[in-house]
Amino acid sequence: MPEPTTTRTITIDPITRLEGHGKIDIFLDDAGVVERAYFQVPELRGFEKFAQGRPAEDMPQITSRICGVCPTAHHMAATKALDDLYKVTPAPAGRKIRELVYSTFMVEDHSLHFYFLGGPDFVVGPTAPAAERNVLGVIAKVGVDVGKKVIAMRRRLRELTSLAAGKAGHPVFGLPGGVAKRLTAADQERFKTVAAEAVEFAQFTLQVFDDIVLKNSDYVNLILADFFTHRTYYMGLVDAQNQVNFYDGMLRVVAPEGQEAVKFAPNKYLDYIAERVEPWSYMKFCYLKTPGWQGFTDGAESGVYSVAPLARLNVADRMATPLAQQAYQKYVATLGKPVHHTLANHWARVIELLYAAERMQELANDPEIIDPNVRTLPTAKPTEGVGVVEAPRGTLIHHYQTDERGIITKANLIVATQNNAARIAMSVEKAAKGLISGKQVNEGLLNMVEMAFRAYDPCLGCATHSLPGSMPLSVRVRGRNGVTLSTLDRDADGKIRRA
Amino acid sequence: MAARVRVLGLGNEILADDALGILAARELARLFPPAEVEVIESSQSGLHLLDYVTGVDRLVVIDTVQTSRAAPGEILVVREEDVRSAPGTAAHGTGLFDALALARQLGFPVPDDVVILAVEAADCLTLGGPMHPAVAAALPQVVAKARALIRNPR
Repeated sequence: MPEPTTTRTITIDPITRLEGHGKIDIFLDDAGVVERAYFQVPELRGFEKFAQGRPAEDMPQITSRICGVCPTAHHMAATKALDDLYKVTPAPAGRKIRELVYSTFMVEDHSLHFYFLGGPDFVVGPTAPAAERNVLGVIAKVGVDVGKKVIAMRRRLRELTSLAAGKAGHPVFGLPGGVAKRLTAADQERFKTVAAEAVEFAQFTLQVFDDIVLKNSDYVNLILADFFTHRTYYMGLVDAQNQVNFYDGMLRVVAPEGQEAVKFAPNKYLDYIAERVEPWSYMKFCYLKTPGWQGFTDGAESGVYSVAPLARLNVADRMATPLAQQAYQKYVATLGKPVHHTLANHWARVIELLYAAERMQELANDPEIIDPNVRTLPTAKPTEGVGVVEAPRGTLIHHYQTDERGIITKANLIVATQNNAARIAMSVEKAAKGLISGKQVNEGLLNMVEMAFRAYDPCLGCATHSLPGSMPLSVRVRGRNGVTLSTLDRDADGKIRRA
Repeated sequence: MAARVRVLGLGNEILADDALGILAARELARLFPPAEVEVIESSQSGLHLLDYVTGVDRLVVIDTVQTSRAAPGEILVVREEDVRSAPGTAAHGTGLFDALALARQLGFPVPDDVVILAVEAADCLTLGGPMHPAVAAALPQVVAKARALIRNPR
């Protein structure tokens, strides 16, 4: 009688350097070959119940507290949901101020991500010792002056957000039909000055990416590696000319071959997107109703799609601003289109950083931005509203139904990471299968598996500020009966201990 | 001149036990005049904490943790040097320690005395959820400990 096959489990918990907790389970068979790999994240619960019974008008203020990373994205999606709920078109200056603030936020978030979250993988390098792959390693590589430049830029951007939107960490300016506060001529001058600095900073960052990543063939080969590649659908907001837009537009989906699959108004999202649950995860996995769910697989027959910088550049025909368009052309000339390489998200993010800065500059220089008429008062009776923005990490959807007094009766929230969840699961599994074979699983290989995950910059739940409570990395090898056979812990200083 | 002390209450009012750091900060703001102790509440994370870790002599941080190795409501006192060997590899990545390490590396004025009151939480993921009774019950003790730490620098 043949021996029963035993499966060993490797658990990476939590994933380092992400905003929040995450856990990866890798199941090995006896030969040390990866059978399956799962990623697990704790997800926020109870949004619907939380929202029910509240006045919809409170949602922009409250939902900006949902996430400690992108309060501005939640605030803006909620505010836009109120526009739709009250069927009001925002006053032109109000709309422009919103997009100006939103662009400012995107410049800030994308810069922080490039240097400090993605930086350890790409600026310091995927094969650098674990102890160097952190914020300090990034500074050591780019220099203290560049570090200071990033922090100073961030501070100026946040001062502007506070000026226009209330506290940068808790914006309060969005109201149905516009914004609460106009910009003065003096405010406009400040925005103009900082926007010009932001464009320069973004160009500088693109140069850093070029020098450190693109001029290093090892990094380029890693971006192109098969185990970081999936041929899925992509989704993102585009403007009337099919250009990337973070604040508004139509949701466009392109197929793995690059042609448009569908383009729809955001409030029709339920006609095109469905969610499913898997027994091994709390996470809801989004997929396209056409072609439907075929499992964790890519190709035109599978409804798996993704969002975020890579997806946004794939769904757009071009960038709306000149310098970003130049950068985009180089990107497409190098990688083709659509780009299916997950790690190209880092490059796409820098191109978007440049677009956000240029868009900020366009809006700061728009004479209408100081028009005192910043709000159109809503008069319609509320029933239902959907608000969509492109958060830094991808499409974010807020959806409220209310009674005639505007009290929420039903609410739905789809965050970027849910849109990406199926593809992230595929990335983790493919990287694990591509990289791990044989019984020797070293820390470097595990980092490469984590890199597949980190490229999406997933928001993992939103209780993100909690202090570290356990070892940065622990790997458990278990038999099928659940008995731990051995453990592998990566200490905080990067040293590995085996037991 | 007395040392400048800042209390940083981290958490999220709308996420069950995660409200603890915020509630403790509010309580402390009532106990000390602003000129004596600066109290900041923040729901922000990662390097956004950079704004709050510089320019003071002493920093007392109150936050929730989920180690799953302690009972809900248990209070852990952690000094920064306990984890200082680990800049940047903290579990939550760009957390408080990264913000401190980065600020230090860039030459910003960072307090030498950083103490963290970490309270074990049961649930930090349910929007609008209730606090675990043991976590809620820990609040007076957290405030008392923070008060003692503020009054008695080591």
